[in-house]
Amino acid sequence: MFFPREMTEVELIIPSKDLVTVTKVLSGRGVFHQVDSAYLGLESLGPSTWQDKAANYSTLERRIQSIMQTLGLAEEQKGSTEFDIVEIESVRPAVDRVEGEVKGVGEQLGVEKKRLESLEAQLKQLEPIAHLNFEVGSLRKSGHVHSILGVMKADTKVIERLDSIRVPHVLFELKRDAKDAVVWLLGSKNNSDELERAAKSAFLNPLTLPEEFSGTPQQVVEKTRKAIDESKQKIFELESQLGKLGGVHKVELQKLWWDTHVSRLMADAIVRFGQLRHTYVVVGWVPAADMPLLTEKLKQASKEILIEAVPTERSGHHDNVPVALLNNKWLKPIQELVTTYGRPSYGELDPTILVALTFPILYGAMFGDLGQGLILMLVGYLSHKKIFMKGLSSLGLLLVYCGFFATIFGALYGSIFGFEGHLIEEYLHFHFEPLWISPLENILTILGFAIDAGIIILLFSYLLSLFNMARARDWAHFWFGHTGVVAIVFYFCFLTILNGLLGTTPIAPKIAAAISTLPLPFNILTPIFAVGVMFNSLFRNIAEGHRPLIEGGIVMYFVTAFMDLFESVISMLSNTLSFVRVGAFAVAHGGLSLAFFSLAGEEPTIGFWITLLIGNIFIIGFEGLIVYIQTMRLHYYEILGKFFHGGGMRFEPLRLNSSQEEA
Amino acid sequence: MASGVTGYAAISTKVRAMYSNLLTPQDISRLSDSPDFPTLISSLKNTQYGPYLASLKDNELTPRRAIQQLRRRLADSYSSVAQMSPEQTRSLIKQLFRYFELGNLKAVLRSIQTVSAWNPDVAPWDRVSEVLFPFGSFSSIPAQAMVEAGNVPAAVELLKGTPYESTMSFAMKRFSAEQNLFPLEVALDLDYWRRLWAEAKKLSGQDRESATKIVGALLDMNNLMWAIRYRVYHKLSEEEIINYTLPFGFRVRDEDVRAIAAGGDISAIVSRTFPSITDVNALLERPETGLPKLEVQLKRQVIRQCTNAFIGNPFHIGLPLAFLILSDLEIQDLVVLIEAKSSDALLEDFRSVLLKTSLLN
Repeated sequence: MFFPREMTEVELIIPSKDLVTVTKVLSGRGVFHQVDSAYLGLESLGPSTWQDKAANYSTLERRIQSIMQTLGLAEEQKGSTEFDIVEIESVRPAVDRVEGEVKGVGEQLGVEKKRLESLEAQLKQLEPIAHLNFEVGSLRKSGHVHSILGVMKADTKVIERLDSIRVPHVLFELKRDAKDAVVWLLGSKNNSDELERAAKSAFLNPLTLPEEFSGTPQQVVEKTRKAIDESKQKIFELESQLGKLGGVHKVELQKLWWDTHVSRLMADAIVRFGQLRHTYVVVGWVPAADMPLLTEKLKQASKEILIEAVPTERSGHHDNVPVALLNNKWLKPIQELVTTYGRPSYGELDPTILVALTFPILYGAMFGDLGQGLILMLVGYLSHKKIFMKGLSSLGLLLVYCGFFATIFGALYGSIFGFEGHLIEEYLHFHFEPLWISPLENILTILGFAIDAGIIILLFSYLLSLFNMARARDWAHFWFGHTGVVAIVFYFCFLTILNGLLGTTPIAPKIAAAISTLPLPFNILTPIFAVGVMFNSLFRNIAEGHRPLIEGGIVMYFVTAFMDLFESVISMLSNTLSFVRVGAFAVAHGGLSLAFFSLAGEEPTIGFWITLLIGNIFIIGFEGLIVYIQTMRLHYYEILGKFFHGGGMRFEPLRLNSSQEEA
Repeated sequence: MASGVTGYAAISTKVRAMYSNLLTPQDISRLSDSPDFPTLISSLKNTQYGPYLASLKDNELTPRRAIQQLRRRLADSYSSVAQMSPEQTRSLIKQLFRYFELGNLKAVLRSIQTVSAWNPDVAPWDRVSEVLFPFGSFSSIPAQAMVEAGNVPAAVELLKGTPYESTMSFAMKRFSAEQNLFPLEVALDLDYWRRLWAEAKKLSGQDRESATKIVGALLDMNNLMWAIRYRVYHKLSEEEIINYTLPFGFRVRDEDVRAIAAGGDISAIVSRTFPSITDVNALLERPETGLPKLEVQLKRQVIRQCTNAFIGNPFHIGLPLAFLILSDLEIQDLVVLIEAKSSDALLEDFRSVLLKTSLLN
């Protein structure tokens, strides 16, 4: 629950005759993460025939996909039990036949669409000169003037460059939009070569009118419009024809695609097996819990298969072990938040459960409102069920959790839809007291409380970091790392200093005050552990046996060490005070609501309620988003950064279709 | 907008640290003495490139894969600098980075044009993917789909919605008529540099000054080489050279490019803009070998310009830009070394094209 799933390293020796049946088991169950072991093969055996097969399946699959795309058919994946490797030659004739029927119509459609595009481009070029009263064909026939009318990139510098050629010429810019410029380059017939070269090298694409388009620009425009209408009609007819073909071949194509798809996937997997003379070697990883069932299925598939399974301990470093996270649908949005930051490495604590608690609580503390919290829960639920705001469906459950805690904090703060204290009695006609504290009336208290909560979370994060380092047996960092024992003790000393500075002010954190009362000589411990933090890299080098102990000269080292200490103090201060925002947003929430009450006036007219409705929508949408960002920031910078490194390799099992969930 | 000391305190410190990790001319010289390719790679594993090469197993170690790994470091540097740089300068860094995407796009188009000459046993994408710059998530081009499209017009269709769509739509008319990639590549190059220059000019104050100086140095090198190559090698007409070059730069002026296009004395123009480059006429006598040598000399000018950026006020975009360009040029040196060592070339055959070792003189 608190760690990625335990993994077993598996090595299989498969007799050649059972290759396909074993591959079916490995591909069909979605629990086997394959490691490329092709290098284990004997080179003298020459290239594997499976490589050719995989390439052929891939080509065939692409052809089928292309046909389906032309027909507007979606690929439908089937269950993981309905599959087998099919012979290419049993599929190819059917694909050739359907392709033959579809390709011609598809190509005609492509050509017609291109023609339409070209006609529309011509129309666009002609419109700027539609008012000119001359024969378009006369441009081609002129005896003295060489003329190039066309379109080029609407970049002033490119046009200027064309205009700067040395041969006598005139360049008119007839029309320009963001992308294209219609220009007309005119010069003497004697310089036609130079003009053509200049136009070509400036990527001026001359207007190419079909021979049948003669007459004045206005006449050509009309002819072009007519041709566009005809082209659109033809496109419509071809699309209808494709629609009919789609209906006829739908079932057949989907079966052909599925057979080829699974054959390609299995052939791809086999290509990465190590091939010996009469056997294949397969290496990979399987979640330990899935191993017994997989073993049973493999033995059913091949009586002579050799299976070697080595369970992998979580302690120590395991960079090459793939990481399969918990597959709990209720925690999925939280897991996405965590994996956006980093995927836990094998053996590292998976912070999903911790974040599942802290994220909604911190969110609720900042957005405490009973009514708005319930609305947030409802929106989250509807979005999760894809009834409303489908785009947010992956975050739906997170909104439900955040809304739940916003509701609880709303009760604790005594806030319903922004109504607090006497406003509830005055406008909602019932009595509702905060169960704990009203942020607006106890600003400094709530800010101080937020800092205390932050200190607890930070200390907990430090302890988790120690836990992770102890499990990884990274003792140098356990003692002298940025979140090691020395740094934690120094953080305690830092808190006593903070307590001394803030004294008895209401914002002073109570925990810092409590630590100061401990019977410890902090005035002696502080400089000692400050030196420890300052020289932690030196101590780490000693502990790890790294040489040289000091890099870049003694003076530079002292400067760097001092900067390390300075940075540590600054980050401890900023990390601690960063949690003030939790209290500040709780206050701001009340303040923002009050602002809408000021706008609404005092009389409970229809305008008053509409203003409050708009205000609540604004607060839920806008403030809700800001608080979400702030909560995420607190987790990514202040909490996860302390103990979570990530960098784990994703567990990507062989599977036939994307609907098979990741283990 | 963060700028000046506040905007650049972190990034200039980081870039300086990264700059100090670049290989020195002495390092390059030592690497060039490696007896063979495996020794060169094991020496490189002791440098900042070590972590990138460490992931390559011995049986996977080919010159092409090694080069790919080195380029991953450059991609990471770009990503890191882009993230840390002040917001107003990020689009310039990203546009500079697009140079490698432009290279990928050209490689994809070339692969489509030449695919019929390839070994049919290897899928085209497998061949192409090995030579593409590891652009990662920054990439806006659907490279694999383009290669698999099988022909240039279909591949270009896939560029809809990318920064290359508009440029390609104009150049494709010429491609259709000539069936030659030259106009497409020229159009892409010109568009890239125009955008880069425009990004540099958008900045203000010290940022604009340093960016135009550094981007301008790169642009000068390209513009000058284009003008010379088009005239000497491709024998293009004056008006074509004018349209295929750019009217701006740091040292190279529009008049210089026009003078080259009009048949002016190339040697005099190069020597006037870059006094340290002499004897250009001798290089132009045999353009096949002379032009690459001239390009190497111009690249060394860029290295000097970039190195100078690290002197004086560090709080401007010049430092990150200079570092990224120096990193790229360093990798160009390493590519030369890898290719030379894997083909058992003699030191005297490739020493002259190493960029950094010239700084030892």
